[in-house]
Amino acid sequence: MKKNLLLFLLLFSNSSFSSYQLETVLSDLDDAWSFVFLSEDKILYTEMPGKLKIASLSNTFIKEIENVPVVQYGGQGGLSEVILDPNFESNNTIYLSYSATNENNESTLFVLSAVLKGNALENNKVIFQAKAPRKAPVHFGAKIAFLNDGTILIASGDGFDYREMAQALDNHFGKIIRINKDGSVPEDNPFINVTNALPDIYSYGHRNMQGLVVTKTGIVYEHEHGPRGGDEINIVKPSLNYGWPAITYGLDYAGAMISPFSENEGMEQPLLQWTPSIAPSDMIYYENDIYPELKNSFLVTALVSRDVKKVTFKGGTHNQESLFSELGERLRNIQASPGGTLYLLTDGPSGKLIKVLPKEL
Amino acid sequence: MRIAKYPFAVFSAALFTIMLMTPVTSISNLIWLASVDMPVDFISSLKVILFDFQRLGIGLYGVVVIGFSVAFIVAGLISRFSSLGGKYLYAIAGAAAIGMTLFLMVELLFQTQLLAGNRTILGKVFHIGAGFFGGYFFYSLISSDKSYTFIIRFLGIFYAYWLLGLSLEWIFTPVQASADFGFILNELSNEAQNALLRDFTSLFVATFLFSLLGAITLNPAWFFSAGIIYFGAGIFNLIAIYVHGTGFNQIFLFEFILGAWPSALALTIILKEKKLRN
Repeated sequence: MKKNLLLFLLLFSNSSFSSYQLETVLSDLDDAWSFVFLSEDKILYTEMPGKLKIASLSNTFIKEIENVPVVQYGGQGGLSEVILDPNFESNNTIYLSYSATNENNESTLFVLSAVLKGNALENNKVIFQAKAPRKAPVHFGAKIAFLNDGTILIASGDGFDYREMAQALDNHFGKIIRINKDGSVPEDNPFINVTNALPDIYSYGHRNMQGLVVTKTGIVYEHEHGPRGGDEINIVKPSLNYGWPAITYGLDYAGAMISPFSENEGMEQPLLQWTPSIAPSDMIYYENDIYPELKNSFLVTALVSRDVKKVTFKGGTHNQESLFSELGERLRNIQASPGGTLYLLTDGPSGKLIKVLPKEL
Repeated sequence: MRIAKYPFAVFSAALFTIMLMTPVTSISNLIWLASVDMPVDFISSLKVILFDFQRLGIGLYGVVVIGFSVAFIVAGLISRFSSLGGKYLYAIAGAAAIGMTLFLMVELLFQTQLLAGNRTILGKVFHIGAGFFGGYFFYSLISSDKSYTFIIRFLGIFYAYWLLGLSLEWIFTPVQASADFGFILNELSNEAQNALLRDFTSLFVATFLFSLLGAITLNPAWFFSAGIIYFGAGIFNLIAIYVHGTGFNQIFLFEFILGAWPSALALTIILKEKKLRN
């Protein structure tokens, strides 16, 4: 009880309650998962049932995009990430991740590239299909990010029932994948010459990664859901093993001990781990000036703690602060507009897009 | 006792079955860890098996009790209205209950296999086998007359089973155990860490053993020993709050419950023995 009281006090003393004005700009979003800015006013967003939509934030006009791939919606699967090509202004290319069934009717993760032309997708091409077939549509990861060299990183989750596969290199369970925009494998991938290893694997030993950020300096940060406890933020480097499930700070959902080890030689330690779990769902590195107090910090949305964790790392230690807990919402995604204004996406079948206005406005 | 023995036989059989089921998950995890060259040794194996028996087991316990209740009622009806019956009927009912429970947990509730040990065919066989022996154990409990000591023993063992979790946490994961009590262990001085670890570990291990010994020997002194310690903790907690101003907490309620439980068992033994002597 004492612990709960302390937790309660900490939560609210750290929370910047009423420090920001929060304005709902879109509502009734159907299980929206991610969004990306096409301009300061226009976003492209995904809804898990398989809808890709364009919305104007000033007049809330929403238009559905046609020719979106058929997805398998259910469990944790569906249409997931949408990102723009770094050269989107010239090639109008976008990338989508989604779960769908393979030729054996098993669920797995797909990544598709397509050209956004008007209100439809053209030149659709599946550039990645995870060799991670599963019965239950869960733990897909499904985050995508561009490295500064123009290659694509894809987070492919451990499939829950297949967690041990995260330690083997002959499959895509619990891996971060690196491919070229056309789906081919970069020749400098770390396991390209390793026998029995899939050549597109970049790092392994991950669980269910739902935050993937590449900073301007090229450092890759990811966060992943732990089981019961042990959510992590890691710096991702090629060829490294992040340990899941051989080392973990969490317990299995049923209470069992997944591993008695939390560290081992040859396995990376997280920069930060959360026990109990906060269920981190997305992350950005905020570099704009609109909110000076947030500049150069990671902003992590969380489903269980229903807030945004502002996280900074300095000299081997970290600081974190809880933001926007006054919303009381499971937060699914966070993005900064081209001008630097923050937007939060809430989780679930009646999702909202919330604009964060700086204190001084 | 004629009626009361049935529910307590279900509770006891479920606890026995849990004891057989949880090592399936523990050992399957340990075998895999060893296969990827993790430094699995006797201590780490013991830690996993004991923790799983308590933490995984306590979650599974309710599910097994429900499954067994349904299965054994059906077995009882079959036994009553047909020529079938006996220990194997209950053993098969126990096996069916576990098999069906684990199947439904996946298909109806979680879609995924929450019990890691049940992911393989061999694991499923072991779990169903545990249910079989649980059913057999249930039959052995109901097939003979039971005195009040059967219930005393069950409640004493269940109390010890609950304390086992706290004992294990203080032995194997003291940092986590300290955090649960509001301490950041590494921020304390060495002397304070030492005092905290030895005193708390001793407290929980001792009361665990007292209650276990009470259940085995039915000597009320063991149960009273556990009860006195927790009543004392509750009383001195209140003194700390109101006399020494350490701040209010509600842990004293929990401490009084932990004190009352074994004390009630001890008093029951004394009263029953007195009644029998008269």
